Amino acid sequence: MVAQTFVQDFIEFITKGIQMMETKRSRLPAAGILFLGLMLGIPACARKTPSGPDKPVLALVMKSLANEFFKTMEEGARQHHQERASQYDLKVVGIKNEEDVSQQIKYVETLIAQKVDAIVIAPSDSKALVKVCKQAMEAGIVVVNIDNKLDAEVLASNGIKIPFVGPDNRKGARLAGDYLARRLQAGDAVAIIEGVPNAFNGIQRKLGFEEAMKASGMNIVSSQSGYWETAKANQVAAAILTSHPALKAILCANDSMALGAMAAVKAAGKTSDVHIVGFDNIEAVQTLLREGRILATVDQHGDKLAIYGIEYALDILKGQTTPADKETPVDLITAETLR
Amino acid sequence: MKRFSWKLPVWLTDYLGMAGALAILLAVFGFTAENFFSRSTFLIIADQVPDITILAVGMTFVLIIAGIDLSVGSVMGLSGTVVGALLVNAGQPVWLAVMAGVVVGFGCGLLNGLVTVRWSLPSFIVTLGMMEIARGAALRVTQSRTIYIPGYLDFITETRLLGISLPFLLAVGIVLLAQLVLSRTVFGRYMVAVGTNEEAVRLSGINPRPIKLVVFALSGLLAGLASIIQTARYQANPNNGQGVELQVIAAVVIGGTSLMGGRGSVISTFFGVLIISVLETGLAQANAQESTKRLITGAVIVAAVILDYYRQRIRHGKAG
Repeated sequence: MVAQTFVQDFIEFITKGIQMMETKRSRLPAAGILFLGLMLGIPACARKTPSGPDKPVLALVMKSLANEFFKTMEEGARQHHQERASQYDLKVVGIKNEEDVSQQIKYVETLIAQKVDAIVIAPSDSKALVKVCKQAMEAGIVVVNIDNKLDAEVLASNGIKIPFVGPDNRKGARLAGDYLARRLQAGDAVAIIEGVPNAFNGIQRKLGFEEAMKASGMNIVSSQSGYWETAKANQVAAAILTSHPALKAILCANDSMALGAMAAVKAAGKTSDVHIVGFDNIEAVQTLLREGRILATVDQHGDKLAIYGIEYALDILKGQTTPADKETPVDLITAETLR
Repeated sequence: MKRFSWKLPVWLTDYLGMAGALAILLAVFGFTAENFFSRSTFLIIADQVPDITILAVGMTFVLIIAGIDLSVGSVMGLSGTVVGALLVNAGQPVWLAVMAGVVVGFGCGLLNGLVTVRWSLPSFIVTLGMMEIARGAALRVTQSRTIYIPGYLDFITETRLLGISLPFLLAVGIVLLAQLVLSRTVFGRYMVAVGTNEEAVRLSGINPRPIKLVVFALSGLLAGLASIIQTARYQANPNNGQGVELQVIAAVVIGGTSLMGGRGSVISTFFGVLIISVLETGLAQANAQESTKRLITGAVIVAAVILDYYRQRIRHGKAG
């Protein structure tokens, strides 16, 4: 194995560097060499064994891998790849923060330069990523859009079509909202805690919640952003509970924020009066759903989402299908469905 | 001792200035937000501030010695995930998990201090590195997943003395203790001296290194302590505390602590935390738009610092 001997060489090199550093005379140049070694060595060690020429290389470009949802998505993709390692090669890249749009654009540019065969992308911004996706397509790369749908108008103005494989967030939120409405009476006060203000999926979820609440005649007294975060959502929920003591439900655009809203409801001593609805079905809310402390959430099958995109890209590469949008399932999760 | 006797009234006027600003803010929200003057508003604020206050105490000390600690949010996140992982994934007893969380925080702070002092590096870049390291470790510990802690830590948020929660009492206790350390102990005087002129301290025969080391370690320790309160309320989420460092620095600076070092007060920091918390709670209760919230918060921070500039001038005028 070439890689293994390289690792040994590298370790030896670093050890030498450290020894040189310890002899005080040559500290500065030694530190320089050590640094250089690290810079050169780390990427080389991380390098994968070269693949055969006939296997297509698929790149999965994610949003933040610090986010549980995308982590689940990544793990699903990796497992899919392990089971079918003979069929394709997989590269996974993820940005640090979900809002780090420029970083994601740079990743796609790198992938174009590396001449991958297909890019499956969850864009961090539905408009800003269109241009670089167009460049990829012009370079002959198959591009499939997952999770966060690229803006239809911007796509049209660039004269391209990129197939979207993913769930309808609005429909999912509507499902949860409708389920909640059955526990309420028309005219009841409810509040929405939104995601980051400009996030497409956050906006879709908000619209879905609003649709459900309006259809059943509920009174939306407040709708504010919790920035996808537990602590921020807690602060907002606590404030809304105070200014609207008659509040009957809080609809949160993700489960992390539902945890924050739950803490606020508990602190206000209203656990039995205020229903909470979330989105994403993360592991941490499973017990809470069973106990009824969170009424409902929505599962958009994050673990399968990237797989749908990958399989679709492979089909396109094989020429088995013509690119078109493909909707993936969303399911309502409640104490009853968990039983 | 005689020097002290004229200093106290100046302090008092300082506090009165902060309290006045807070009162104005409260009055404004009293008119604009529904049900603002209610018991529950104040309970909410008392629930929101303890973790930020505890972090801000550590940050006050760090700023006084002319350093900065950008890692507090991440370290708090990491400590919290350690607590969660030990409690839920490893089934360890509560006392052990809580201890481990605090120790992890302390360790991160100690490392910040050691690296800063050993190689005489700017703490800005050292703690920026630690910010990334601790966040990475937090994600590693939890596999990027929120750990739900079923009830083990409820005693922390639910214990109340005379209606005041345990975390709030703890935070106030830490503020008072830290103020005593700052203004009544030799160590406190040394901190101010190091922040004013480190070279002069060294030349007068005092080694500033141990002082700096202790301050950074303390900041880490307090981040560990704050993480226990955060985790008890919000579960062990590896993304907890993201961006909190800036909020904490803003609170400390609003309290009149100088970013240049050598000047600061822990009690004023506490007022700074209260001002930010009242502002955020009030804006949410007034149902303000997202853009409005940010515009106003930013303006208040800048206004507070300008106010502090004039307060300093008046004070120096008096003294000179």
